[in-house]
Amino acid sequence: MLPTPYIKCDYNKVYEPSEDSFLVLDSLEKDLVYLREKFKNRVTFVCELGPGSGIITTFMIQNEIPNRSNSLYFSVDINPWALDTTLTTAKLNGCSETNCYLECIQSDLTTSIRKRQVDILVFNPPYVPAVNVPEIPSSKENLDQWLDLALLGGKDGMVITQRVIDQLDDILSPTGVAYILFCARNKPEQIVSNIIETCDLWNIDLVKHRKAGWEVLSVYRFSRK
Amino acid sequence: MKFLTTNFLKCSVKACDISNLNFPLEYDGSKCKLVQNEDIEFQPEFLLNILDRIDWPAILQVAADLGNTSLPSQKPELHTNMDELNEEELVILRDLHTLLLQTSITEGEMRCRNCGHVYYIKNSIPNLLLPPHLA
Repeated sequence: MLPTPYIKCDYNKVYEPSEDSFLVLDSLEKDLVYLREKFKNRVTFVCELGPGSGIITTFMIQNEIPNRSNSLYFSVDINPWALDTTLTTAKLNGCSETNCYLECIQSDLTTSIRKRQVDILVFNPPYVPAVNVPEIPSSKENLDQWLDLALLGGKDGMVITQRVIDQLDDILSPTGVAYILFCARNKPEQIVSNIIETCDLWNIDLVKHRKAGWEVLSVYRFSRK
Repeated sequence: MKFLTTNFLKCSVKACDISNLNFPLEYDGSKCKLVQNEDIEFQPEFLLNILDRIDWPAILQVAADLGNTSLPSQKPELHTNMDELNEEELVILRDLHTLLLQTSITEGEMRCRNCGHVYYIKNSIPNLLLPPHLA
């Protein structure tokens, strides 16, 4: 089993890593050989959306997924606290400017990222169903509002995830692959079969599936056909 | 934010996506604070791979924005096999290492050449969020 980053951060600002984060880590670990082979001998653009504590990006750097000396890691979050925390977590685990390429960018999903550049996209989204997706807080100090934004995904918990899926063809590079987490209430089987019926671009595979407390979580891999 | 990152950032405004002016952003040389970290080690193979994938005209443009006009106008074509690299090619890669990986913009601002929207870099973190009326 690959080592998990050491995390020490203020959970009033970002969510404490929980079963959802761990399932993403396990999925990346399971696909380690596949990813190393797919992206060997070239620069790999890794992009995590919504890093929160930074555990996933740090895990990827630490465990050289898909490789360390040839990867550019971008952590993209709308929440300024998540970016600060991601940098702190990376440092705490020995990832520094001199031994890895890590960039933290404040952005609404990938709207600011040049099209078709991302080789590995990782997204643990705000997946909890809610009446609405919360508005973006007007001040950095509205901590509870930032936390809500990291959690609540509107109707079926799918509003934000759906935005990413709809843009996936523009986000991923020609050899790109995406790992996206769902909970059962997102109805992932239905989403996946809809995509397969309506668009011929993707191979979609279930990488990991787990019952965690009262939630059932799954991570799917989207790769270009 | 490292210089190389400028090669991946575009304007967030959706309407600018149909323009080819939304990338690269235009960096304000008078307001950008550049910092050099010489402790970042030179890895020729990494640079060779980076060179393979970057958009060279965008590198030229941002370098010029920041006052560096010494880059060749065409992307250097080097041996792709590490063992065949000669001294001259290593010098080119080392210069690129200094520019792309060792140089960071820690504070600054940049604008979209299509819509004119201005974005800021603070504490090395670029903020590409739009105000609600543009998002």
